[in-house]
Amino acid sequence: MARTTRVTKALPRVHEIRNLTESTYVLRFDRRDLEFEPGQYVSVGVKGDIDMREYSIYSPVDADFLEILVKEIDGGHVSRRLRRVRPGDEVEVDGPFGFFTIDEPDRRRPLLFIATGTGISPFHCFAGSYSDLDFRLLHGVRTAGERYDHDAFPSDRLTTCLSRDPQGVAAAAHVARAEPVADGRAAVGSADSSAVAGRVTDYLREHPVDPGTRCYLCGNCDMIYEAFDILKGHGVAPEHLYAEVYF
Amino acid sequence: MGGARSVAFADLGCKLNQFETESIATQLQEKGYRIIEFDAPADAYVVNTCTVTNRADRKSRNLFNRARRATQAAQAAAELSAEPAAGTPLVVLTGCFVNSHRDELESDGRTYIIANEQKHSIPALVDAHFRGEVVHPAGNVFDFPVAKRIFHTRTTVKVQDGCDNFCSFCIIPSVRGRAVSRSSRDVVAAVAEAVTAGAREIVLTGVNMSRYRDGGVDFTGLVEACLELPGQSSGHPGERDYRLRISSLEPDGLADRFIRLFEHPRMAPHLHLCLQSGSQRMLLAMRRQYTYEEYRRLAADLRSIDPTFNITTDLLVGFPSEEDDDFAASLAAIDEIGFGHVHTFPYSPREGTRAERMRGQVPSRVKTERSAAVRTAADAAKRRYRESLLGSRERLLVERAERRDGTLVLTGLGEHYVPISVRLPARVGEHARASADPPPRYENTFLEARIESLGEGDDPVLHGSPG
Repeated sequence: MARTTRVTKALPRVHEIRNLTESTYVLRFDRRDLEFEPGQYVSVGVKGDIDMREYSIYSPVDADFLEILVKEIDGGHVSRRLRRVRPGDEVEVDGPFGFFTIDEPDRRRPLLFIATGTGISPFHCFAGSYSDLDFRLLHGVRTAGERYDHDAFPSDRLTTCLSRDPQGVAAAAHVARAEPVADGRAAVGSADSSAVAGRVTDYLREHPVDPGTRCYLCGNCDMIYEAFDILKGHGVAPEHLYAEVYF
Repeated sequence: MGGARSVAFADLGCKLNQFETESIATQLQEKGYRIIEFDAPADAYVVNTCTVTNRADRKSRNLFNRARRATQAAQAAAELSAEPAAGTPLVVLTGCFVNSHRDELESDGRTYIIANEQKHSIPALVDAHFRGEVVHPAGNVFDFPVAKRIFHTRTTVKVQDGCDNFCSFCIIPSVRGRAVSRSSRDVVAAVAEAVTAGAREIVLTGVNMSRYRDGGVDFTGLVEACLELPGQSSGHPGERDYRLRISSLEPDGLADRFIRLFEHPRMAPHLHLCLQSGSQRMLLAMRRQYTYEEYRRLAADLRSIDPTFNITTDLLVGFPSEEDDDFAASLAAIDEIGFGHVHTFPYSPREGTRAERMRGQVPSRVKTERSAAVRTAADAAKRRYRESLLGSRERLLVERAERRDGTLVLTGLGEHYVPISVRLPARVGEHARASADPPPRYENTFLEARIESLGEGDDPVLHGSPG
């Protein structure tokens, strides 16, 4: 396990804000000497504001900056204020925290990453930090516009599940071709890049997972709860399911 | 020198708080202070608070106000005399309530507000106050010497503080700080010191011990080291060794190696494993780090080593969005796991936690009803568990020996953390009374007891006989 340096309430300077959609952006700031393990999160707030929120680290472990993926929430206090910061401003950062990490032996096994919305953030970090992971990523979004930085993932490892955008499916470069392989199980890490209509849980129901797969889930509580049951039904042991709940 | 000044203590909340209170009391006793009941007039009152629920906040305030009222008259008299504050009665407020309410609490010359990080310095602060001196706190959260048995028979050793889990309902990471592990060398030395001093049961405590790590030593490795110390013998029958107990533990990150610890004869077959909910949906919303199935498997593994292994727990009811089905799952878990004791508490929002902002807050009336239902189920489960010990042998650590109806009755806890009462045969009691030899000391000794019956009430005592 990597050694982590605790940086309590550091005040790094903002480098840039990169807008991905009208409501979602990547905030980049100084890393200082913060060490972390891919999958961990930091608590971030506007300088001088008592409120802070937790965000998984989006940037790779060897980058000399830190990035977080933020969705601006209606009525949200922190996400809206963070969007108004400017390069050179200071933000408050505490951390790293969390245990949503991949143990070294598991990095050599087939992995299934399942995300909804900004829950893709830790997987973006995993993919950028570990060059030889054997993973497949299911990303559940409402519309094609929410495919945050999908070009950061090898196209043959990614399936997008579009829950409210059937036109988006048709427009995707590759229409779904993720049929089960001969033994009836999805070939984790080998299917084509695709976009399919429906939720990630719909996809999981139709595409059995090899019981030896380590499954990492990040997103809203209801999706994870439902996916747990489906994956256990496919024979994945509970101790091989890892979750990071986003609220 | 403190002379004959007296100090009264009150504490709330977790085992860690209890230990810290006892350690502070031990240090003040060694400085010459008398430790007295909280209701008695004292020169100093130390209130070690808790903030885990709204109820804990209220209790903390009440104790603080009681201590202030108790010192009020003496303080007023001192002010009229225009004497310096040194020597006037003193109130020390410390603990997690202090850390969560810093803005509304103010220190003055006779009321000291001490955050958790400086709690270890309270003995020096109290002593300096009565000397008219000022001390500057130094040290760290592990600077609590091994406590003498002032309030409890068991001796507690602090191994860890703080928590990084950030469960969505919990304020503890904010008030106890980030997880920090005491060096394994210091822990083992503290346990050895306690054993050498005659402790028969040592309790390892911390906020989140399952995440303990000191270099390459994890919690299992730490416990292994604590189990292999030479025992002490006083020559008294049964008093030949020590046993090790683990206090509250989070049920995550515990591998098979940890389970096997309980094959060691010195390990007490009891764990307080905080479940919080039997509903997987609620566990996710609480941001707990385990599934219910993992918990159930852990319980089964422990019971494979000892079928009567005592598993106790905490259950949180009325968490935001908890539906009837979720609550039913918690009730079902009480029976399925077969808990020996359930500590239940209704959810109350803690400022700054994620759950405070969650939708679906459950009405107070529903939380009250669910709490009552849990208590009923938990009482029944506790009785069933204790009935399962009938006919077995328990190793009682005697906490009290008292004469009742002409015979000597020994009470204390068995290795399964159950209350046991043993009435000694009349001739043994007679010998104790009539012999010219000094009567045998039973307190803090082990006694093998055959469990024969179970008492009544919601915390029924097991009754047994020696043998």
